[in-house]
Amino acid sequence: MRVGFIGLGRMGKGMAHRILSGRHDLAVYDVAQQATVEFAKEGAHIANSIEDLCKDREVVITMLAEDAHVQDVAFGRGGLCASLPAGAIHIASGTYGIATIRALEAAHAKAKQTLLAVPVLGRPDLAASGQLGLVPAGPQEAIDRCEPLLKLMGKRIFYAGTKPESASAIKLANNAVLGCAITAMGEGFSLVRKYGVEAKVLYEVLTEGLFGGAPAYVGYGKTMVNESYDKVGSPVTIGMKDSVLIAGAANIARVPMPSHDVYIQRLLGAIAHGDGDLDQAALAREQSRASGLE
Amino acid sequence: MTDANRLRVGFIGLGRMGQAMAARILGAGHDLVVFNRSADKATELVKGGAVLASNVKQACEGREIVITMVSDDAALREVTLGAGGVRESLGQGEIHLAMGTHAVAEIQKLASVHSDAKQILVAAPVLGRPDMAAIGQVSIVAGGPSQAVKKCDPLFQVIGKRTFQCGDRAEHASVTKLANNFMLGCAIGAMAEGFSLTRKFGVVPQVFYEVMTEGLFAAPAYKVYGKIMVDEAYDKVGFTAMLGLKDFSLIMAAAEAARVPLPSGNAFRDRLLSAIAHGDGTKDWAVVGREQARASGLE
Repeated sequence: MRVGFIGLGRMGKGMAHRILSGRHDLAVYDVAQQATVEFAKEGAHIANSIEDLCKDREVVITMLAEDAHVQDVAFGRGGLCASLPAGAIHIASGTYGIATIRALEAAHAKAKQTLLAVPVLGRPDLAASGQLGLVPAGPQEAIDRCEPLLKLMGKRIFYAGTKPESASAIKLANNAVLGCAITAMGEGFSLVRKYGVEAKVLYEVLTEGLFGGAPAYVGYGKTMVNESYDKVGSPVTIGMKDSVLIAGAANIARVPMPSHDVYIQRLLGAIAHGDGDLDQAALAREQSRASGLE
Repeated sequence: MTDANRLRVGFIGLGRMGQAMAARILGAGHDLVVFNRSADKATELVKGGAVLASNVKQACEGREIVITMVSDDAALREVTLGAGGVRESLGQGEIHLAMGTHAVAEIQKLASVHSDAKQILVAAPVLGRPDMAAIGQVSIVAGGPSQAVKKCDPLFQVIGKRTFQCGDRAEHASVTKLANNFMLGCAIGAMAEGFSLTRKFGVVPQVFYEVMTEGLFAAPAYKVYGKIMVDEAYDKVGFTAMLGLKDFSLIMAAAEAARVPLPSGNAFRDRLLSAIAHGDGTKDWAVVGREQARASGLE
């Protein structure tokens, strides 16, 4: 297929390499030109603008960090909506708010293009090896056409439905459940510590029992036990950005989410105390502060 | 089993859990005396060689370790502090092994009472269900003076597959067990919110279930309770909403006493209360999934 890829960050890079490995005709674009160098060596076309990238493409994948970026790329002058051929598909792979996905969907429809929302589950190393989870949603015919690309990027595909916003909702809800798990773990550790129990003991009880096998608990719990918050996977500020999107989705859908509200408040407190750049597990430190332990 | 390894054990409280645990101890060859208010619960154990005591006193006399497995704090207090109770009847230097789930404050109080009577309290609540206890597959969280915990270890080994040493005070075990239940409740509450949010955007619950349990949340807590929510099988009761509320009251009391704010726990407890207010108190506590849906205008 003739594919374009925009956004060659840590995740995007791995995903674009997977597309190349399937011998598709790939054009790439990134605002940071340096990121495109390795793709030139491998035979990809390096586009000098989004407009240039869109020429003759059947599918363009975007992997951009923020709603504002994907909006710029889609709606800006010479952007996707203006430049993609009619009938082409835009796969939006980041984690975006419901309102953004709805706006993209409407604008592409107006230009006779199709939006698929395909948020991904996993880290950069999984992206590089094609082991991501993918959550595609959009018109069935478009999903069918993109199936060969999806199979290159992910090992497990969760079909979310025919409306792109369904995929966003899943990704946001998954992040919400994660945030709540991190917050609750912080509370549990503070509780036992106040009674003189070592955090490690509760960690073992949790991860050898009800929460065994769950990376959310095994990973973040370990960081809390070791208080190694400066080894950053996903920082507090990214949690904050996502939680604002989650709260926005909850507002649009009229879903009260009291546990998630607690998570937002702990994120805010952590940032207020200067811990914004630490790993999200630092919410345990924020909790222990609130408990008079720090 | 050699006589030297054979412990003289008393067992008080033969509910479903207690029966299964006592049977494991008997099966390992220990000298077992059992007591339950309704003696018919002891029939199988007596057939297997246990001696039936006619009161708590008889279940304590001459015993090295007396296990209590009673349903709540009031029952534990009565059995321990009442006339002819464990405190009066257990010999000096012997161990009261409390294996139910109890309030931290209650355990602290009993530890001090036993200490005054020159006895030792070990708390060792159990993680798991009766069917797991019957085959020795539960886990045990143990707390108390290390010599006493060590003495109980042969019993732990036949009752459970894994014992976690929580610390040298009985309350260490109580709070660890409560924290584990706390984490489970919070996970149920958060999952419920996730299901309501995704449903409102047209997602089939099964899909969100798969995303969670094949990814970040590939653990029994999410698999078991998420499945109940997907199937809306709240009538198949493992643990009722009412019992969940009881546990969360113990948790919040322990947190208040230690000055630990638990906002996630408060959010979950309020959902449980609402579920009970809507008549779902005897359903499985995963019914918080339905309560969250109600709060979201989905029911």
